[in-house]
Amino acid sequence: MEEFVDKALDYASKRARFAEVRYCSSTRNVVLLKNGTVSASGYSIDSGISIRILNKSIAFTSINIANWEQLKEGIDRAIRMSERSGREKFSSEDPVNDFWEVDQRKKIEDVPFEERVSEMKELDGQLANEKIPMRILSLGDNIEEEYNVNSEGTSIRSKLPKVGFFAMIGFLENGSFEQGTVEVGYSGGYEALEAWKLGDRLKHESDVLKKAAMAKKLGDGVYDLIAGPEISGIVAHESAGHPTESDRILGREMAQAGESFIKKNDRGKRIGSDIVNLVDDPTLDHSFGYYKYDRDGVRARKRYLYKAGLINDFLSNRESAGRMESKSNGASRSSEWDKEPLVRMSTTFIEPKDYKFEELIENVKEGVYMKSFTEWNIDDIRYNEKYVGREAYHVQNGEIMEAIRRPIIETTTVNFYSSIDAIGSDLEFSAGTCGKGDPMQGVDVWMGGPHIRLRGISVR
Amino acid sequence: MEIENIYNRVEKSVDQAAVKLSKSKVTQIRFSNNLIDISNEWNEEYASVFLALDGRTFTFDLKNERDIEKIVPRLLSSMKKIEKNSDFISLNDKSNAYRRKGMRDGKLREMEGHEFVDEFIDRLKPFVKRIGGVFYKKELEDEILTPFNRGSERQFGVEFVTRAFDDKDYPVQTSITTSTDDDLQILMKQDDDVLNLMRHVKNIKDGSEGKYDVIFSPLCFASLVSYTIPMASAFQIDSGMSMFTDRMGERIGSSLFTLYDDPTDDTMFNSKTFDDEGSPTKKTPVIEKGVVKNFLHNFSTASKYGVTTTGNAGIVSPGPWQISVEPGNEEVDDMISSTKKGLLINNTWYTRFQDYREGILSTIPRDGIFYIENGEIVESWGGIRISDSLLHIYKNIEGISRKTEKVKWWDETMHTKSPFVAVADVNISRSK
Repeated sequence: MEEFVDKALDYASKRARFAEVRYCSSTRNVVLLKNGTVSASGYSIDSGISIRILNKSIAFTSINIANWEQLKEGIDRAIRMSERSGREKFSSEDPVNDFWEVDQRKKIEDVPFEERVSEMKELDGQLANEKIPMRILSLGDNIEEEYNVNSEGTSIRSKLPKVGFFAMIGFLENGSFEQGTVEVGYSGGYEALEAWKLGDRLKHESDVLKKAAMAKKLGDGVYDLIAGPEISGIVAHESAGHPTESDRILGREMAQAGESFIKKNDRGKRIGSDIVNLVDDPTLDHSFGYYKYDRDGVRARKRYLYKAGLINDFLSNRESAGRMESKSNGASRSSEWDKEPLVRMSTTFIEPKDYKFEELIENVKEGVYMKSFTEWNIDDIRYNEKYVGREAYHVQNGEIMEAIRRPIIETTTVNFYSSIDAIGSDLEFSAGTCGKGDPMQGVDVWMGGPHIRLRGISVR
Repeated sequence: MEIENIYNRVEKSVDQAAVKLSKSKVTQIRFSNNLIDISNEWNEEYASVFLALDGRTFTFDLKNERDIEKIVPRLLSSMKKIEKNSDFISLNDKSNAYRRKGMRDGKLREMEGHEFVDEFIDRLKPFVKRIGGVFYKKELEDEILTPFNRGSERQFGVEFVTRAFDDKDYPVQTSITTSTDDDLQILMKQDDDVLNLMRHVKNIKDGSEGKYDVIFSPLCFASLVSYTIPMASAFQIDSGMSMFTDRMGERIGSSLFTLYDDPTDDTMFNSKTFDDEGSPTKKTPVIEKGVVKNFLHNFSTASKYGVTTTGNAGIVSPGPWQISVEPGNEEVDDMISSTKKGLLINNTWYTRFQDYREGILSTIPRDGIFYIENGEIVESWGGIRISDSLLHIYKNIEGISRKTEKVKWWDETMHTKSPFVAVADVNISRSK
């Protein structure tokens, strides 16, 4: 269908203030193992053309039927829909002509399908040897190729390969059950598998679940909290990334994922202690949410969402930036070719500072060290949140003591960031799929940060 | 794409093949703060192909028939080198007949979405501060072709969700999904439903922790059962990470509680006559009078469990079609007036589990959390969380309304027909 892109743009541009045509093809492999059985081996090619029109409102149409007459009819309908009154502003941006791709050392295209299966079988065997009875393992890859043109002269071609692994495992002994996940993702090729050291990670997770299943709850109370990078990451994503999405702030997601406790004029308001910097950066090499240009054709860049404890910047695309009378900072993403681009995160993290881990815990009298989480959630304005520890320990007088079971933090965004009094120098990322939009769009992200210390947090 | 072309291309090279061809036309209008944001249209077709050869299985999807020549040689070569899938036994090898759907949707089809949305906003605007929502019109044609069966069917439906904020910015939400002209009146009076909910809003405050008797609205209860019923898939049972694992025949709920997967209700969008391997679908009680009655099966998982398929393929993993909760015989007003200290919760989201086997979860109520004292709604709450377990909630069901609603909201709620459900002693927590 790629052959129709320029013709479609030419046709649509004649009756639109702005027109954009994207051809995209995603080639995916997936292997799924359930308790040692290869339950699914799959391959797919997903391709088609999407067209976005701006007149009195925005219209978006997608079609994968390789027939010019049907495509033309789709454009005609989109133009008619865009003549209905609605929102109609896009920010003004410079056109771009470029090609970009992410390099692969071990190319996805060169990896035989059966090699993926063998890798997963080996990992599953390790888990079985560790006496982990419940095991779902999934390995997937995707090569997305896009040709994106618009009526302002932008023309961008790209090739973005990705590899992702997800494991969900469960341990049960004497009626005591614990569940855990390992999720990693990478933009690039199968060199990722070596770097991930999945065998070690899964062994660690197995040990964590066994310990947690036997662990006792800690008494309710107020504790200092040492949060590991996985906790820093989920907090950064949920309570810094989401509330600074400008489309949420403007109410565009009001009937689904909700809005934000941050209002349009809240830049400069205090959100946390002055050592807290929150970043979203799509330009980190090989990060899972990497892109050089966003779906609107705007160059990606690093953004400080919170800086020195203050609300600093909002994630935006051309639509939301237009409504806010500003320029886009390149956060427009869509999960597939047939979904409208929305304001999305990429890699969101708490910026590291200078504390070593030992320094973080050395003067903690009564504390909790929460390394990873299981259940979590946050309200639809991104203010009230809950994190339940998976790997967690009691800390007493500067020493890590016994494992504790499912400690629960229910706090607010401002309380969490205001309680941070020390930030580590380390930095780790974990992968995730961020959900938003209607229809739901899950996009690949990294989230992370260093170890951090918070004073006086209620734990139950 | 033509289903025969795809089937003929693959069937000679394998032992069994199943091809499902779906053609969809969907229009959507999204609006927020009283103005349309975007009109979307999807006009797509795609084929899902399942292949079995010598105990090995492979699936592929394609959206362009020409891609089949890139896919098939590669996967046939790969198939011979991968492990056997011991979960797979066979596609359904009986020749099946399918029921005929009873569709009455002529008026719904004539609905013009933009006019409906514009009029809805105009009618509500004088009474609320701001409104957002989504209107969907969905049409789907499915065909299935296997060595043993062939079928075709169509689905059509309208979905409408709205969220409105009052002058103090307190939100309420409504939802309707329907495939029948019989529901046109309900669809056209969604603005009344919004205003009726808003009439409950008074004394807005942060909620308090504790144990409360909770009346779950159909939208809210639909969310809970939408997280429950996928765990009845035999795939999930086998994985071990399900609250139904090892609980067949066990009482897990009050005797008032019966939960179905019901693809036979043609008044809802996801009604189906056949599944992904050509088995006829049927209404399946998953929980009957509080007792685990059935898991959801395809032909292979049913063979493994020594039962007959429930018509829920997914060939890799069986899954539910649409949900129905058996109504009771109470009036909603009576349920409220008989509550001493409790909550009426209209919606919930962000449900996450810390323990799938025991169904331990938390979920965040929203869009109308009404505190009831001595039978009257006296406050409207925010900032609370249900921190409990599905097993505890289902066991404590004490009342179910006669009235049901058909709802579907975003990714949180499957197509569900649910009554209001009263549950005793639900644990409510909040941030500190």
